Amino acid sequence: MAVVADAGTLYGLLAVGAGLATGLAGIGAGMGEQGIGAAVVGVVAEEPGFLGKGLFLMLLPETLIIFGLAVSLILMFAWTPFSGIVTP
Amino acid sequence: MLRPVKMSRVVVAGSKNVISPVVEKLHELCLLHIVNYNGSQPQFEMGKPIGKAKEYSEDLIKLRSVTRYLELNKKFPDKAYPESQVLSEMDNLLNNVGADVTATYERIVAIDAEVKSKQDQIRALTPLAVLPLPLESYYGYDSLATFVGTAASPVDADVARVSPVNEIYSGSAKNATFVAVFVPADKAGEVSSVLSEHGFSEMSVPRLEGNVDSAIATLEGSIKSLEGEKVPLQKKLVDMKKQYEDLMLATDEYLSMQTHKTEAPLRFAETANAFVIDGYVPADQFGRLKSELESAAGGKLEVSLIADNEADELAEKGEDIPTQMDNPSLVKPYELVTRMFAIPEYKEFDPSLLIFVFFPIMFGMILGDIGYGVMAFLTMVLLKKKFKTPGWQQLINVVLISSVWAVIFGIFFGEIFGPLGLWSKVMGHLPEHEIEAVKAAGLYFGEGVFGSLGRIGFWPGIDIFPLDRLASNAVLLLIGTSVIIGIIHCSVGSILGIKTELAYGEKKHAYFEKLPVLLIQVFFGLLVLGLVIGQMMLVIASAIVIVVAMVMLVMGPEGPMGLAHMPFYVSNLISYLRLLAIGLASVGLAFAANQLAFYVVMPMLSGGATNSAEFTIPAIIAGLVVLFAVHFINFLLGILSPFMHPLRLHYVEMFTKFYSNHGGGVEYSPFGHVRRFLKA
Repeated sequence: MAVVADAGTLYGLLAVGAGLATGLAGIGAGMGEQGIGAAVVGVVAEEPGFLGKGLFLMLLPETLIIFGLAVSLILMFAWTPFSGIVTP
Repeated sequence: MLRPVKMSRVVVAGSKNVISPVVEKLHELCLLHIVNYNGSQPQFEMGKPIGKAKEYSEDLIKLRSVTRYLELNKKFPDKAYPESQVLSEMDNLLNNVGADVTATYERIVAIDAEVKSKQDQIRALTPLAVLPLPLESYYGYDSLATFVGTAASPVDADVARVSPVNEIYSGSAKNATFVAVFVPADKAGEVSSVLSEHGFSEMSVPRLEGNVDSAIATLEGSIKSLEGEKVPLQKKLVDMKKQYEDLMLATDEYLSMQTHKTEAPLRFAETANAFVIDGYVPADQFGRLKSELESAAGGKLEVSLIADNEADELAEKGEDIPTQMDNPSLVKPYELVTRMFAIPEYKEFDPSLLIFVFFPIMFGMILGDIGYGVMAFLTMVLLKKKFKTPGWQQLINVVLISSVWAVIFGIFFGEIFGPLGLWSKVMGHLPEHEIEAVKAAGLYFGEGVFGSLGRIGFWPGIDIFPLDRLASNAVLLLIGTSVIIGIIHCSVGSILGIKTELAYGEKKHAYFEKLPVLLIQVFFGLLVLGLVIGQMMLVIASAIVIVVAMVMLVMGPEGPMGLAHMPFYVSNLISYLRLLAIGLASVGLAFAANQLAFYVVMPMLSGGATNSAEFTIPAIIAGLVVLFAVHFINFLLGILSPFMHPLRLHYVEMFTKFYSNHGGGVEYSPFGHVRRFLKA
């Protein structure tokens, strides 16, 4: 049985995929950051001068979201196989 | 600018007779970074404090305790005092004022303690009000044992069983039964065990007289009078703080300086008759140091320069050459960013200038909104007046310079509090025929780029057409721009890395570890560019160079393991997409704020009106509240993220290419003092 998808369905699936890419990456980064955040707060309580370095350590896992977002952007804007269908 | 100030290694040797004037002069010059003598040479011993070191430190301790009572904190000085005034008022300050403050403070502490003990008594007395006994009847018996407390169940019958002679009073309040049991002293043990079966828990009865209510009233009265006594004392401390704050901080500074000076010889090497000071001085200041010191010592002193190669040997043996960053005043604030990561080593590059170049551009590219940029600028101008300590000033200046770039990018992006928000109202839309003209000129980049937004005409023929960041072509353009910025940023880091390794004489690290990374970064960019514009020759050429670079990495100091870093270098470049991504998030929120206020809240509350002229006044007010709230949140985020993320791009993506592979440096901190509360 052949499944025939129209342009709207494909575009919808693309959007869902893009959303999952950013969303799941965000969850992953958040899980990474929770441990770092707790540790940084602990260190800063002992030594306030560590705040700068601590904040910066907190940002390390945020790269993950950027990767997810990059995938989303590519899906939404730069995925040529579908771009012909996507234009409304 | 990219290099720290050149330092000279000097040795100051002189007769002990002139140690005081020499220390005085050194302190005044504030030039020599002293290398502490570590006691390693048998013919020298460590120096001893000179002059009144002990008295100064005792005075300092006395003063510090007074300042602690007054809760004085370091602050920006309101006025500076001449040293003579501090000296003449110091005795009065330390003894009379100090004693007064101490006495007042101790009295307040005593009052607090007394109030607390009286409150405890009141707490103990309150339950006794349910028993019909005056307070003096609870204590002072020889032949009677007294039990006062709470019991879970009636105790009368059981107490009467073990001690037929007894008096029991009971009453209840607040869900608890209070009992007072009086029995002959010889029955105390048995009664106590009987009572414990009834869940008895004893309370202490304050040794007071009269009935309970009047005793509580008396205690409350005295608490009130104690509190009354405390108020003027506290006011007195506040007044004294106001009166003596600056003078005390000036005295603190004076005494700190004096102890610093008198204890300086602890860092020197000494023999019976001479002393030797090792240290570093900025190379161009050596002549000044030499002539000033020699004239201060009247010839009984020798200041000599150690040749560079000998100084290098000392450095190799583990002596840290101090680093003094050397930047023009515009770049100075960015030293804060460098310092937050690590002080560069003497032979490393000082990246402050690069941060000055890249950081504000990145900040601007992320925030990129005229409205937010101007608001950030004004906020920083206000904060600058409020926070005057050097650290805050530097931080504020960093954001201040960056917010100018946010406005510049805001013009390019056509955003005033969000895209298509105020912009289109201010600038209007580009007419259709002009779009056609731009297309005809080959300048049309696609929808959203030279799109429907208005434009700023600076002079005829040269207009700026804003880019709508939410349009798809603009997103693609910005992805490219972000990666190109990343390649430039990382490549500059790699080039500095190569030069740093060469400065340390590590040729293999320079050519087989840092150089391949530079090649990979640049040609990875070209490869992607080739794929995008469809130039297969460029793709193939880039791929060949990348393979060569990977072979070089394998030949490098880490061997095949060097390849394991490849994903790191590529992900470094992708990481620059945050320049676009975080910007998009901020635009999105601003856009949502405008939509929410003008197209959802206002029409809905006006009963579905579609025309802005039909909006009711309450709907407009509610809409404006939503508008301001969302924009305010976005503004706060808009200062924080564009600050933190470029910071990370510098620390992780750029600094790892060249910085601190050899451990952090030591900051140049010359012997001396920057006067804040004292006039020179």
